[in-house]
Amino acid sequence: MRVKSSALLAIATTLGVSAAPATAQEQAPTPVILKVAITQQIDSMNPFLAVFQSSTEIGRLMYDYLTAYAADDQRVTEGLANRWEPSADKLTWTFTVPEGKKWSDGQPITAQDVAFTYNLMLTDEVARTANGSFVTNFASVAATDDKTVVVKTKAPQVTMLALDIPIVPKHVWEKVTSVKDYTNEQMPVVGSGPFVLTEHVAGQFIKLKANKNYWRGAAKYDELHFVYFQNSDAAVQALAKGEVDLVNRMAPAQYESLEGKAGVTRNKAQGRRFTELLINPGAQTRTGEPIGDGNPALKDVRVRRAIAQAIDLDALVSRVNLGYAEKGAGLVPPVFDKWHWQPGTSEQREFDPAAANAALDAAGFPRRPDGTRFGLRLIGRAGRAYDEQASEYLKRSMSEIGIPLDVRLVTDNQLNEVTTAATYDLAFSGWATNVDPDFILSLHTCAQRPGADGKGGTTDAYFCDETYDKLYAQQLSEFDEGKRVEIVKQMQARFYDQVPAVVLAYENALEAYRSDHFARFTTQPAEGGVIMAQNGMWGYYGAEPAGRAAQSSGSRWPGLVLGGVVIAGLVVVSVLYARRRNATAGERE
Amino acid sequence: MRLAGRLGGAAVSLLMVAVLGFFLFRVVPGDPVVSMTRGRPTTAAMQAELRTQFGLDRPLVEQFWHYFTGLLRGDMGTSFTFRRPVADVILERLGPTLLLVGTSTLIAVVLGLWLGVRAAWRRDSGFDRATTGVSLTLWAVPTFWLGMLLMMATGDLFPSRGMRDTDTAPDFVSQALDVGHHLVLPSLTLVAVVCAEYVLVMRSSLLEEMHAPYLTTARAKGLRDDLVRRRHAVPNAVLPAITLVFLRFGLVVAGAITTETVFSWPGLGLLFYDALTGPDYFLLQGLLVVTAGAVVVMNLLADVLHGVLDPRVKVV
Amino acid sequence: MTGFRTRWFSRVGRGDGAVGGFLAHRAGVAGAVVLAVAALVAVIAPLFIPADALDVTRVSDAPWQAPGLGHWLGTDHAGRSVALLVVQGAGTSLFVGLTAAVLSVGIGTLVGIVSGHFGGLAAGVLLRVTDFFLVLPALVLAIALSTVLPRGLGTIVLAIGLTSWPSTARMVRAQTLTIEARPFVERARALGGGHGHVIGRHVLPSVLPLVLVNATLAVASAIVAESTLAFLGLGDPTRISWGAMVHQAQLHGAVPQRAWWYLLPPGLAIVVVVLAFTLVGRALEAVVTPKR
Repeated sequence: MRVKSSALLAIATTLGVSAAPATAQEQAPTPVILKVAITQQIDSMNPFLAVFQSSTEIGRLMYDYLTAYAADDQRVTEGLANRWEPSADKLTWTFTVPEGKKWSDGQPITAQDVAFTYNLMLTDEVARTANGSFVTNFASVAATDDKTVVVKTKAPQVTMLALDIPIVPKHVWEKVTSVKDYTNEQMPVVGSGPFVLTEHVAGQFIKLKANKNYWRGAAKYDELHFVYFQNSDAAVQALAKGEVDLVNRMAPAQYESLEGKAGVTRNKAQGRRFTELLINPGAQTRTGEPIGDGNPALKDVRVRRAIAQAIDLDALVSRVNLGYAEKGAGLVPPVFDKWHWQPGTSEQREFDPAAANAALDAAGFPRRPDGTRFGLRLIGRAGRAYDEQASEYLKRSMSEIGIPLDVRLVTDNQLNEVTTAATYDLAFSGWATNVDPDFILSLHTCAQRPGADGKGGTTDAYFCDETYDKLYAQQLSEFDEGKRVEIVKQMQARFYDQVPAVVLAYENALEAYRSDHFARFTTQPAEGGVIMAQNGMWGYYGAEPAGRAAQSSGSRWPGLVLGGVVIAGLVVVSVLYARRRNATAGERE
Repeated sequence: MRLAGRLGGAAVSLLMVAVLGFFLFRVVPGDPVVSMTRGRPTTAAMQAELRTQFGLDRPLVEQFWHYFTGLLRGDMGTSFTFRRPVADVILERLGPTLLLVGTSTLIAVVLGLWLGVRAAWRRDSGFDRATTGVSLTLWAVPTFWLGMLLMMATGDLFPSRGMRDTDTAPDFVSQALDVGHHLVLPSLTLVAVVCAEYVLVMRSSLLEEMHAPYLTTARAKGLRDDLVRRRHAVPNAVLPAITLVFLRFGLVVAGAITTETVFSWPGLGLLFYDALTGPDYFLLQGLLVVTAGAVVVMNLLADVLHGVLDPRVKVV
Repeated sequence: MTGFRTRWFSRVGRGDGAVGGFLAHRAGVAGAVVLAVAALVAVIAPLFIPADALDVTRVSDAPWQAPGLGHWLGTDHAGRSVALLVVQGAGTSLFVGLTAAVLSVGIGTLVGIVSGHFGGLAAGVLLRVTDFFLVLPALVLAIALSTVLPRGLGTIVLAIGLTSWPSTARMVRAQTLTIEARPFVERARALGGGHGHVIGRHVLPSVLPLVLVNATLAVASAIVAESTLAFLGLGDPTRISWGAMVHQAQLHGAVPQRAWWYLLPPGLAIVVVVLAFTLVGRALEAVVTPKR
């Protein structure tokens, strides 16, 4: 026994370094904690610099935006501002920030904070690192009094109620001399959101506490912890064991492994993501110079259509997504049903290899004696289960229309490089879309293509189409939503018809939570919505603890004891050995 | 004189590592900025701004000069992923790795040397055959696979990830116990594989020593077998094994990659793996320099130690 | 260390007595038999596996079946037979192991002989380079290389081969120096034997047995290395190898599903083959190294 305790003491001493940050706190009643697994790193807590999706999501918990998207139907709703009014010429927007909202340190939130944040971004290009795209069209921002912010834009902008910019407290940030070097980890970090950042250990965890001053009312539990996992497999295991309460981004098989697990509730939600197959349409720079080395055959829209027609989207959804997806169509996923477009019966390309074969023959690409027409490269991401599997299916589909595929799976980075340089024929890609479709649509305009030096492009598929561009400009200044929706749908139809990319599937977001710890989460939208990765913070904010659920940590004791015994055993063995040695040494004298 | 030569050699090696670290990762095609901003509304101007912030818009030669002079000052640049100095990030992760590798090495050394000595002394006994057989088998086991098996086999006994739970009481004892609890599986995995090697080396080293003439003399003098082993054979035979421990310790730091990946242990190995996906140039460079540096230093130490312990070798 | 295990066995076999030698031989024979079987399986079995059985687009069996009558090792996430996958994977794993070992030992032998035989500045530089590579953490370097180069078997072979040759070079150089100090080599040189003659007639023949032993052990570590790279997702994703199977098992959640039948076989296959190579290497070494 003595040996064992001394062994434990020895371990304890070894661990001293890592345990040191823990500060002594008195034992209040155990706080209710929601523990969330994340698999992506956090790049920065500074909302002006953080570009990773996970960082943005945590940023949403710390800072409110000027406006928000409602949990139930994603319509624009009150954020820090509760009223907004565009001028008749749509160039001046007036936002009202009502009295009574407070920062987590008790200071009032005013229009000055909003103006400060926007102006910081207008004057300091470093502050535009993460969210600069939202202010490019701003001419000026001013707070006329503590309740009113006036934003003037250079041209009418339809997305003025979709400014995803965290508003920071002026009284904290005006003391910041260099945005670039400011980590924003002065704990607790003053914010306006439902949670306050209290601790961040990079690569391990992030701790937040409920903001008691939150203007919508404090969350129903005490602390929110994000725990970093290297892969979702480990995260799923941890959920099954009750080490974490909420997991998302599961693979279908992982999701199914949790079926019927006691204390676990699964949430199959409509996701914001879609997966697509890029077809190089003869990439060109902004100045019209050819770029990359895509197969010239693909410049022919008939060939692209034939390829699209030869892909069995239903089979991909059922075999690769295991049914956890919806068949692809337009660029906006069905979760944004207002903007989502489905082809009508006349536009619809049914899966039909025979028709595709005939179309290719007619387009002037007959089969050669060996049965092939021309070969294509397919680039995908290694390590992404979807790409690894779907490429097998595509290989088979394409071989049926005489197009042998050379599948190359590369790193994320190489994939980006290949798609940027247009050195692909076919490539997997995918995007997460926002409530406002502007961004995803903008990716396919001619102006997004790179400059003459091949740099500075943000195009997704090297699409450049006059009709599409005209419609894009139109929707950007169409303030009648009904009409804008119509234009957006026409754009998607045009995209579908010209096929610079085939939208393969809208993946479901697969999530699961410990319903024995947390009874309910707010999903967005209410029907079939997600808990994590929302356009908002409702999932975390609205979580309700399950009564006085025993968040028992008792289960860890057997393991602890076993580990202790193993180590103690080793110590005993070596002690005995040393003693025997000494004994003989004595004998020797 | 020899020591000076050694030091010079080590310095040259480190220099080459620094150069290699820079150019190896620049060969990777691709723009880290595109990877970073993937999937969020980004304008070309924002991407250019990011490039400027990280100095990626400069000519390669200038970047290299900046990197190299920085390195001499101990400045390894800023990590893209964490937006903090690389040196800080690495330092932060060094602790967990040292804890994991240190604990495992300690256990593996004690156990491995002890088993090795016993096996060699009772050569060809059942014990020897069993020990050697098990060691050879364990040596053939892929670490990551063993880790996953252990995880599957132990079920709910041990935590599946990381080094600490977030809701452990802040007092020292609870924290230490928590870390210890998390440490069991990863260190067990590492011990199993590392230990096998120590057993084999200790065994062969002792067998070699047992043929030495002085042992025969000692036995002829009528000393007890046990005593001969302890006083003469083992101390001499332990040398190569100790050297090995030092040589390996440096490599083990790098080699904890798979173990740390399987158990999400927040150490250098996991950091390296994560840095690859960026790719986080500065972090990768820094990690290569630090891990290779560790090996260089450990090699030096092993050399020196060998000289100190073994009077037959003159180092200085 | 993990995955990249240096070949300390050049020490391990030595000093074994006659009985030990005999045991090593017996184990070596057993290892050789295992290898012969594995090679046979790798070459022949794929001919008998119907193409459809491993094509994820064509299999129709239920995924995640536990071992039973239909599939005696169960099925994977796509409904393919794990037993067939293991058999199919043997080819890739053995191929990579062998070619990487040949490459590594080839480079090592070349560098070792050249630096041992010629001396001078070139040898100094070679020695320096060897020491440099000896210092680099091989796994780290191999991972870096396989990220930089395009995915494929060739990359894996290169990554392993280019990072694991220095120990061979060191050993071959030492042996070369020993041989060249022998009187008969000096005599050959005095009689006007050129470099080619000395290397071809004297150095090479006496180095070869050691190289052979080294190569055998190199295959063992190369197979482990391949599986490590594949596990980290750096392998050739279009091919089935044992390491890739473990990677897939993790990717698709075998551990939380307790699908031991998916995880166990590929790992065991690695262990058995690597062990067999090691045993053969030790036996060869016992034969090659003269007893004191």
